[in-house]
This record gives sequence, C-alpha cells and structure tokens, in this order.
Amino acid sequence: MSAAGRAGVSRGILLRLREQLEFTKKGQELLKMKRDHLASETNKLLSKVAERNKLDSRLMQAYESLKAAYLNLGYSGLASQATIVDKMEVKVRPWSIMGVIVPEVLVEKEANINSISSPSAHQAASELNALMKDLIQLAEAESRIESIAYELMMTNRKVNALERVLIPGLYELIRYVEGRLEEESLEEFFRAKRVKQVIRRSKQ
Amino acid sequence: MRSPSIIYLITRTHGRRTHLLTSESIKTISKSKSLSEMVDQLLRGDYAAEISKLPSEEVDSVRLEKIFLKTLVERFFTLTTDTRGNVKEFLEAFAARFEVENLKRVIRAKHAREKIEEQNLVPLSREHTLINFPALTKAGNIEEAVSLLRETDYASIDERLEAYRRSGHPIVLESFLDRIYFTRLWEKLEGMVEKESLKTLVGEEVDLRNLQLILTLKLRNLAPKLIEEMIIPVYYRLSKSNLRSLTQGGLEDFPEILAGTTYDRIAEEILRKSKAPAVNLETVISKRLYQDASFALKNLFLKSGYVIAYLLFCEKEARNLVTIATAIDLKIPEEELQRRLLL
Repeated sequence: MSAAGRAGVSRGILLRLREQLEFTKKGQELLKMKRDHLASETNKLLSKVAERNKLDSRLMQAYESLKAAYLNLGYSGLASQATIVDKMEVKVRPWSIMGVIVPEVLVEKEANINSISSPSAHQAASELNALMKDLIQLAEAESRIESIAYELMMTNRKVNALERVLIPGLYELIRYVEGRLEEESLEEFFRAKRVKQVIRRSKQ
Repeated sequence: MRSPSIIYLITRTHGRRTHLLTSESIKTISKSKSLSEMVDQLLRGDYAAEISKLPSEEVDSVRLEKIFLKTLVERFFTLTTDTRGNVKEFLEAFAARFEVENLKRVIRAKHAREKIEEQNLVPLSREHTLINFPALTKAGNIEEAVSLLRETDYASIDERLEAYRRSGHPIVLESFLDRIYFTRLWEKLEGMVEKESLKTLVGEEVDLRNLQLILTLKLRNLAPKLIEEMIIPVYYRLSKSNLRSLTQGGLEDFPEILAGTTYDRIAEEILRKSKAPAVNLETVISKRLYQDASFALKNLFLKSGYVIAYLLFCEKEARNLVTIATAIDLKIPEEELQRRLLL
C-alpha cells in the first residue's frame, strides 16, 4: 500500500509534509557528511594498518633476539632479568568520532629496561620495547577501523534508505496531497458557482 | 713441594672428568628432535638419577634446566668435599658463584618489588651456603635484603646502596657482588701453592667479566665514571690503564685499545661482525673463557689449574644442555643452535 493511499488531505498536512521533507533532506545531508568524514577517517587509519607488514618483520627480528637471549640465559635466567623491567602502563579511554565510540590508547608510562644487566636480554627487551608503541598504535587503528566500518555501513544504509525510499515517498505524498487539494478547490469553486446559479434562478 | 691432598684432588678430578659429556656427545644431543629424545640420551650419565625421577609427561625445558643446574652445583660441591684447608677454602670461594647468581636474582626481584620464590633460584642446598635465601626471598625491599646480608661475606654491599639509590640501577649492586666474589677468590688464590695455573683461568675470567661489563654499559651510553666504579679491581692481563681507556673511549676504539693484549680478537668479533653486538656479546665472551679452560684441561693436567678448568667445563656442559633444551622447546633451527653452542 502506497503512502499516498493512507494520507489524509488538508493544507496543514501538506505543510507538515513539506517540513518533513525539508528535515529529511537536511538529515540526509548530515548523514552524507558523516559518511564522508568516517570514510576519510578510515583512509587515514588505513595508512597506519598498511605498516603492519613492516611491523611484522620487525617483530620477527625482535623475536629472534629474544630467542638468542633465551639460549644464552635459559628460562630461569631470562625470567630473572625480566622481573627487573619496570612495566609499561597504558590507559584505554573511549573517544568519539562523529558519534562512533572508538578506543584511544594512551601510554602513561613507558617500560624502563635500563636495569637489565644481561646484554642479550637488554637487546631483546629494547627491540620489543621499541615495537610496543607501534603495536599499540596498530591495535588502536585496527579496532577503530572495525568500529568505524560498522558505522559506515549503517550510515550508508540510512543514506540509501532516505535517498531511495523515504524522500521519493514524501515527494509522491506531497504531489498526491497537492493534487487532491487542487481537485478539492476546483470542486469547491464549481460548487460555489452552482450555488450562485441556483440562488440567481430562484430570485428570477 | 706439592701436598698429597692436591695430588689426590687432581687425580680425583681426572676421574671425574671422564663423566663429562664430550663435544661429540653434545653435538649428538643437539640433534635431538624432541626433549624426550634428548632425555633418552642423558639417561646414561650423571643426569640419569635426577632425570629418571621425572615422569615422561612432565619433561619440559624448565624442569630440565633445573636438573642440569642441580647437577652442576653438586659437581662443584662434591669436589670441595675431597679437600681441606686452603684448597677447600679456595674451591668454596670459587663455588660461591651460584650464591652470587642467586643474590643477583633476589636483588632484581626486590628492585622491581616482584615476588621471588626459591624455585626461581639456582638449586643450592642449605648445606652449601651460609646465606638465608628463604628469608631473603621474603624481604620487602632491597634495603631489607641487604640488611640480611650483614653477617655474611657480602656485608660490604651496604656501601653501594647509596650509589644504587642515586642511579636507580640494580646493576650497581650486581657488579659489586661480582667484585666481592672475584676479590675474595683472588685473595684465596694467593694462599694456594700453585697459583700460576689458577691465576691463568681466574684472571682471564675477571678480565673477560670486566670486558663484558664495559662493553655492555658502553652500548647503553652510561657515564664512564659510573662504569669505572663498577669494574672488578683485579687486573690480570688487562691493566688498570687499559680498563680506564676502555671506559673512557668509544666503542670504535676498543680494537685499538685491546691490540697487543690476548683479547684483541674479541672486540673485533663482537663489534665488527654483528649488527647488534649485544646479542653475541655473552656467547663470544663465554666461548673465549671455555676455550681457555679447554687449553688448561689439555696442558695443565698435573696442576691445580686442572681442577678449575674441570669446573669451568662442568659449567660449560650445563650451559650447553640448557641451550639445547631451550632450543628444542623454541624449535630453533639446528644450524642456529650449533652456532650458539659453546664447543
């Protein structure tokens, strides 16, 4: 059943429908802006994610150094060297991008590895430590992309629904109401003319 | 003239040396595809008693490491039971390296305010140490731990607490423990009859330790003055001025400063052949130390130095076995493992 079939017809309704159309168009514009902003945000994050391969190879190298440290010191020796590391502290807080809640990871305190006495353990720790910040940034970018991509998909659906269903439906409804109002005014005009004729004839 | 007790000790050491795994055996073990295969190969030697107690499903590199270290400690202290007087004191001072390693582990944990339990230490039984490690592990901080060492040979570590607090680096205390250990060992060595053969090994170990310490701290750009304070004040083949030049010079000056000493190749090997010198530093230094021990085993077979060379070989064997077990666990390629073994 079309929207036109259900609508009542009056000048008030026409005004309300026009207001609604205006509002919907504004909403559509806003959603389009949101979509563009989210898309540009995703593009920005994609450049960070593209560095994943480089990070992977750096991680593999750090892992090799770690294996060398294990071989030099054994498990208990390396575990003892590891206890000395002053641990890294991070804080995750929610951040809003166009209403999309994404995580923001803040490094509050970097790991202090200067106290490690074994050279091989220190080398492995410094390579891993240098990677940690980049890994955190990558994880932040990936989870942001995940949230933004979902929101982008939802926004796109909303824009499409407005563009292809709601706005054309409103246009159709307005056209129908306008048509009906025109018909009604013609009818009214004709009726008034007939009444005038009847009154004139009865006077004669 | 040599005392019969020394002759007896050297003879016993010759006998004990036959228990050590040969390089070929180590190579064969290193080719094991799994830890159970490795364990099977160790069931014929000194490790058999401890390994056979381990259920096959509980075999892992951590447990094996513990067994290797326990056997190593036993080998050291079995030797001290064969001796008396000065020799016993010297060997006990030499075996104190386990005590020192455990103290370092406790200090590291206390610095980070982390829990440490006795199982995280080298398995050193109570009869072999005067230090109350159970109490130390329960100490709340470094100050408390240091106060527990007041009546021991390590009491003077108290002097370095201020420097530790200033720098915030426990390496200050760790290096001081090494200083106490080697200074005491050097003193005990002076009381020995055949000190020259012993000095060769102990002196070179001190030199190598100093070299490793300086290189390590130089790689981290620590102030020369701080490095100088941490050096072990025992000068064998590296003179005081050599060490001062090393601490004050840049890393690139190392080969030049060491030219003319027996350690000239070490700097070259560490600095010129590797992109990350720190990774190979310990391996290169250890290889050199055990090469010296190997030379002593071949050439000092009737001298006291033979005993120390044997102990260093025990240490080398334990380190190699730990490396192999870890490598099998981490699935490290065979050629990489062969490169890391101290053969």
